[in-house]
Amino acid sequence: MSLIKQLWLIVVVLLLLAVGGSLFIGVTASRAYIEQEVLIKNADTASALALTMSQMPKDPVTLELLVSAQFDTGHYRRVELRSPEGEIIEQRIGADAIRDVPAWFVDLVHIEVPPGHAVVQDGWRQFGTLVLESQNSFAYRSLWQSTLNLVGWFGLAAVISLLLAWWIVRQIRRPLGAVVEQAQHIGERRFTTVPAPRTRELREVVEAMNHLSGAVHNMLSEESQQLDRLRQQLQHDPVTGVLEREAFISQLQIHLDSQDARASGALALVRLAHLAGINERLGRTETDALLHEVAHGLEQFAMAYGGGIVGRLNGSDFVMLIPGKIDLEQLRHDLDRRLAAMRKHGRTPVGLPGALIDYAQGDQRGMLLASLDGTLSAAEARSDEGLMIAEGPQRRSLFTSHDEWRRALQVAMAKGVYLAHYPVLDTTGELLHFECPSRLRLASEWQPAGVFMPWISRLGLDSQLDLAVIDEAIRDITQRGRPLGINLSAASIQDVHFVMELQSRLKARPDVADLLWLELPEAMAIHDLTSFRSLCHALQPLGCRIGLEHVGASFTRIADLQDLGLAYLKLDRTLVRGIDRVAEQQTILRGMATLCHSLGILAIGEGVEHREEARVLFELGLDGATGPGIRQHKKPAD
Amino acid sequence: MQAEYGAPGITALEAWFALLDRLRPADLETQLREVNDFFNRRVRWLDDIDIWGQEDFWATPLETLGRGQGDCEDFTIAKYVTLKELDVAEDELRLIYVRARIGRSSITQAHMVLGYYETPATDPLVLDNLVPSITRGSQRTDLDPLFSFNGRGLWAVGSSQSRADPVARLSRWRRVIDRMQQQGFIQGE
Repeated sequence: MSLIKQLWLIVVVLLLLAVGGSLFIGVTASRAYIEQEVLIKNADTASALALTMSQMPKDPVTLELLVSAQFDTGHYRRVELRSPEGEIIEQRIGADAIRDVPAWFVDLVHIEVPPGHAVVQDGWRQFGTLVLESQNSFAYRSLWQSTLNLVGWFGLAAVISLLLAWWIVRQIRRPLGAVVEQAQHIGERRFTTVPAPRTRELREVVEAMNHLSGAVHNMLSEESQQLDRLRQQLQHDPVTGVLEREAFISQLQIHLDSQDARASGALALVRLAHLAGINERLGRTETDALLHEVAHGLEQFAMAYGGGIVGRLNGSDFVMLIPGKIDLEQLRHDLDRRLAAMRKHGRTPVGLPGALIDYAQGDQRGMLLASLDGTLSAAEARSDEGLMIAEGPQRRSLFTSHDEWRRALQVAMAKGVYLAHYPVLDTTGELLHFECPSRLRLASEWQPAGVFMPWISRLGLDSQLDLAVIDEAIRDITQRGRPLGINLSAASIQDVHFVMELQSRLKARPDVADLLWLELPEAMAIHDLTSFRSLCHALQPLGCRIGLEHVGASFTRIADLQDLGLAYLKLDRTLVRGIDRVAEQQTILRGMATLCHSLGILAIGEGVEHREEARVLFELGLDGATGPGIRQHKKPAD
Repeated sequence: MQAEYGAPGITALEAWFALLDRLRPADLETQLREVNDFFNRRVRWLDDIDIWGQEDFWATPLETLGRGQGDCEDFTIAKYVTLKELDVAEDELRLIYVRARIGRSSITQAHMVLGYYETPATDPLVLDNLVPSITRGSQRTDLDPLFSFNGRGLWAVGSSQSRADPVARLSRWRRVIDRMQQQGFIQGE
């Protein structure tokens, strides 16, 4: 039996005891009192009447008058005068006048009072015995009334105490519920904290559990920071802290290959001119500081532009990648101002020429970089402050204007989304889920997400597309019963309307929700943690799994995310690529996998190129792998 | 007893016990006569106010014997209790309020006697302390009966209800019965 039920039971039993006891004692005491009073009245009246009769002549008329006078003016049930032999000389009997009292109550209480006896004297002889009984219906009535009053009062008291008990129980129950929920979270390895309740006993429990959660949080922060330091050492330039050439190039390739909004954007190449001369003039330490300053300035610029990546290609060249649909002219203007500010700000006058280019899915990274380099040289030749736009590769754009794009996208979404299926397999080669990038039929061809995603986000159609994808996924799951992984865009999860729509769809189909894996790019989730949190709270109770993809740089933030109950993390391709060769990388991934497991999170490797990589990943303890190198084995039974 | 009434008290009490022992096997007439004589002889007649310092105090036989003096109620109560001890039926004994004329004069006085009724309707035998011998009521022209009572009803109540019953103490008759029970004369039968 639950504690709450026991409390209720105690309250009810106590109330019943109090009510029953009071009623019993009250009625018994009243009855005893009434019996006493009536007894005395019987005896006294009998004596008084007998005394009167003794003094009067004993003729029948006088006796009858006396008896009648007493009976008629008083309240009696019986007045009779019997001769010493027991014969009735005179008798009056009144009706039992118990009207408004229920019979069961009369039976239950049953007032019994002996009649009053007195002897009438006639000279020395005894003339007769007077027997007198008082009417006691009034006693029943008053007892009944007082019982009703008692019951009424106790009914009121019962209602009040039950209300009070209900309130108290609720006061206990609310924090208790929070404690239980927290305990369940910890059971699911989500180390949440809850506000400490006022009830002292509960508060101690909550404080202890909060302490545990805090300790776990600290442990996670430390672990992940250590891993991140390793990653930094591996991927970042030690002087400036930005990505080194190798890492940046692979990031760029990921962007060019990607199936989402990252698939187009802009690249900027900025050179710290005359580096050799500066180095000679300032010395190595000063020059390093200057390089760091430039890199830092560019990183800040990229951050302000909605998140980008900065890398150092060689001694003097910095490259910046800004994903998303970007107006190059605008970017040139903004970057120009920024570079001008950096030139002015620096301690020594430096030249910062630059070049810009836009990229789109499918572009060759070598061509892009070569084009940038050529333009930068031209800019540098012109002046140290030039910032030129490079000639990009010739691209065939599907549509020429915004309106055309909008119309075409609307039509395509109305027609339906096609979901590609890329398997994510676990260590035994079993399917975890399919990754499903969307395709839209544009210009009578199924186009990959990289083509239309930039336009989708530019035209603000994200949540519309995501809903279309969800609908298609629901249909697909219903048909095939295989788990699917769907990408959500950052704009969608910020849209309250979208989250509600999604919630109601999944609520209607709990069977589908179980097979649905929803994922967001790590950077988006970290960037808008509030929206991501509310998304998790809204959707997790419905049974679907929520995870992050492209996890790498922000792995340190896992401590902040652990209480959300993430189901899985997809670790970024940059960490996975070449895992079978680089020992440091293996250390990092092993650490990440261990950390994920301690939180009950699946760790999945992205962008696996071949089976050897997959084998090493599973050896390191990862739970799943996906990428071009992962193909589902056709089992004979399948 | 000794502490309250001294040696004469003890003597009187012992005599009373002897009387009870002696009369137990005797016939009714002897019992009546002996009891009447015993108290008429042993107890001096006085007014309550002189003995007890209060008007109309009803004393128990113990108190009456201890003092060796009492008024008419004390005589009557003592005889009533003694006869009851000798197993005379309670119904046959009644305490009777009478108006008594003293001597030949026309002065009357409130008085109490004990009546013995063979049957309720008969003329009772009167045990009085003014006239030492037992006579029929009708022959006692100096006495004018007013009202009579006995322990019935009260006694019945006394046995069925607790002695702590507060209402019971309101009646003077009832109070003296209580005191008798305390002093061990009668059992709350």
